[in-house]
Amino acid sequence: MAKYPDKVDLYDDRGRVFASKVPVEALSPLRNPAMQKIISYVKQCVSVNLEGIEKALATGEIGGKWCIIRGRSLKLDLVKNADSIADSLKSCLQVTKDDDTEVKVLKGGKHLLVKVPAKRLNAGVEYTTGFTATAAALCCTIVENFKVNLWDADLVHAAVWGRYPQTMEPLGGNVSSLLSVPQQNEGMGYALRNVPCAHIALITKKNAMNAAALSSILEQAAMFEMGDAIGNFERLHLLGLAYQGLNANNLVYDIVKENSKTGTLGDVAVSTVKRAIADGVIKPLEKKPSGYTAYTTNDLNKWNAYAAAGLLAGTMITCGSARSMQHCPSVFIYFNDLIERETGLPGVDFGRVAGTGVEMAFFSHSIYGGGNPAVFHGNHIVTRHSKGFTIPCVAAAVALDAGTVIYTPEKISGVVGETLSEVPELREPLRYVNEAAVSIHGGI
Amino acid sequence: MVEYKPQYYPGSSKVAKNRKKYMDPSYKLRKLRTISDDDLVKLMGHRVPGEAYKSVHPPLEEMGEPACPIRELVEPTPGAKAGDRIRYIQFTDSVYFTPLTPYMRAWMGHTRYRGVDIGVLSGRVPLEARERDLEKVAKDLVETEIFDPARCGIRGATVHGHSLRLDENGMMFDALRRFVFDKKTGEVVYVKDQIGVPLDKPISVGKPIKEEELREMTSEYRVDGVPFREDKEMIGFVQRLHMLRTEAGFDPNKVKGI
Repeated sequence: MAKYPDKVDLYDDRGRVFASKVPVEALSPLRNPAMQKIISYVKQCVSVNLEGIEKALATGEIGGKWCIIRGRSLKLDLVKNADSIADSLKSCLQVTKDDDTEVKVLKGGKHLLVKVPAKRLNAGVEYTTGFTATAAALCCTIVENFKVNLWDADLVHAAVWGRYPQTMEPLGGNVSSLLSVPQQNEGMGYALRNVPCAHIALITKKNAMNAAALSSILEQAAMFEMGDAIGNFERLHLLGLAYQGLNANNLVYDIVKENSKTGTLGDVAVSTVKRAIADGVIKPLEKKPSGYTAYTTNDLNKWNAYAAAGLLAGTMITCGSARSMQHCPSVFIYFNDLIERETGLPGVDFGRVAGTGVEMAFFSHSIYGGGNPAVFHGNHIVTRHSKGFTIPCVAAAVALDAGTVIYTPEKISGVVGETLSEVPELREPLRYVNEAAVSIHGGI
Repeated sequence: MVEYKPQYYPGSSKVAKNRKKYMDPSYKLRKLRTISDDDLVKLMGHRVPGEAYKSVHPPLEEMGEPACPIRELVEPTPGAKAGDRIRYIQFTDSVYFTPLTPYMRAWMGHTRYRGVDIGVLSGRVPLEARERDLEKVAKDLVETEIFDPARCGIRGATVHGHSLRLDENGMMFDALRRFVFDKKTGEVVYVKDQIGVPLDKPISVGKPIKEEELREMTSEYRVDGVPFREDKEMIGFVQRLHMLRTEAGFDPNKVKGI
């Protein structure tokens, strides 16, 4: 029995209908198997920069930039022997022969995509197992396969793990995961929010719809983990994820299409209001002496979902038409201002997205400098305030940029984004989540 | 379906009506002066008139774009298509009855222009866009009724002055003395570009708008003009929004029909 009565039609990233009347709970991180797979993969999948390790060992530059130990070096042909390293690494990580361990050789041996078996994660309480198991197994593998002696093994450790444990994070290491070390999370349940938008854009190969979907899944799943999406607030997040992140009822795509040639951000706000009126989400409350009509709603959660979908569409129109990511904070503030003035109803996340926009604008534009939108994430001190409704738009904006920033997403993301884009569920989340929703539809 | 027409802005006062008018893209802004394209380029100071646009990336057609349904759908602006750099024009608006308040620049900019990045700070409002798109927008911003030569300043740096008293000629303070009042012609003349680099030839931006006219045109609420508190409808709007945001933060399910 479903908890909530809401049903939505599912669409793909090109506005084609996939299934009708699917309960919104089939799109919940608590129920949808594809979302749970995505969350698992985020913990299980780790990337290894074999070329980086080879270089670090050859030059003695280990544990961070300019940290060179003169006279210490090892010439090991890791890239050339990537296949045998992958085989040994796999057997080292495996718990049982037929488990879900995977090691994939990429870019001619320069990189490895490692999937640590779920059994290893299940036997602990921390998501860091993915990283620690891979890094440790890789050290063992290199020492074994290349017959590294007692006196040089420390170099291998430093090339793989970086300066850890002298530093909190593996500084200058060559194994990386999407998730940061727990000490870098702003509070309880923030782990899935600590993924910079640069990674999201690259994993989804800069498909803006999939970038927004993946980001929304991670953000909203984190809302459940943080204790936000529960009780009175669960439906707010479920509808937000469905309409904003997963293009439910084709709302995002339709609004973008309507404004694709000449639309402004103001036009997108107007289209959103029009659609909300047409779908009966909002209705006039009273006409003021000036002729201004204030609107009201009997379903504020749904209005929020419509406004959130409009916000993403507004980002796609503004950042998309300029092919530039830097416009997104301006969208966050003024889309909300405009839609609030248009209706008299609160903007996305009841003002929290507008507030986030103000801070993000300062930290990405002003005298402070800060960084471009690609470095921001839901755990960032200036963009963590909205409960999952801002970051999907940032991810879409980063995906739509044609190359206007000095520090490109590629430079920021490094090996991780590129490597993890090999995982189909992470690269095309919309498709897999839709399929999974249909598969469990009857059970809800 | 209820007949819906975009309304842009609430409020019953003259100021609210002006705000609504400027934000409504179907209202054509009155052109008050002509600034040549070359002069505008000189005022902004990003390139020399006639110089080719510098680019930050190759034209989209040459570089090819990733497979993305949104990129296929959303038409890039001419500047984005060409790979132009992103450049800015920045304004300081005096608190003395200028046509636009800082926030109005953002609201109006986003309802009228596509692909713009506008930020509002305490004493300045930058508008950023791809360079050739920016030049088009800047023309509107300087040539029409939303710009008063004496009380709006085109200022890239050292913007201070919006809250200071006007001088004996009714001009807003400018520490860099970018603009001067020409007593002979009664016009405001820029002798430096927006950053403060001296111009080869002064550029006239026309006569200041008269005080009484400005009081009619302004979108600023002021205690010695139209006070915010006298616009009951506007105050009601703000208070209701504040109440709804707060109630929704407590329990969104309880906000019904109010």
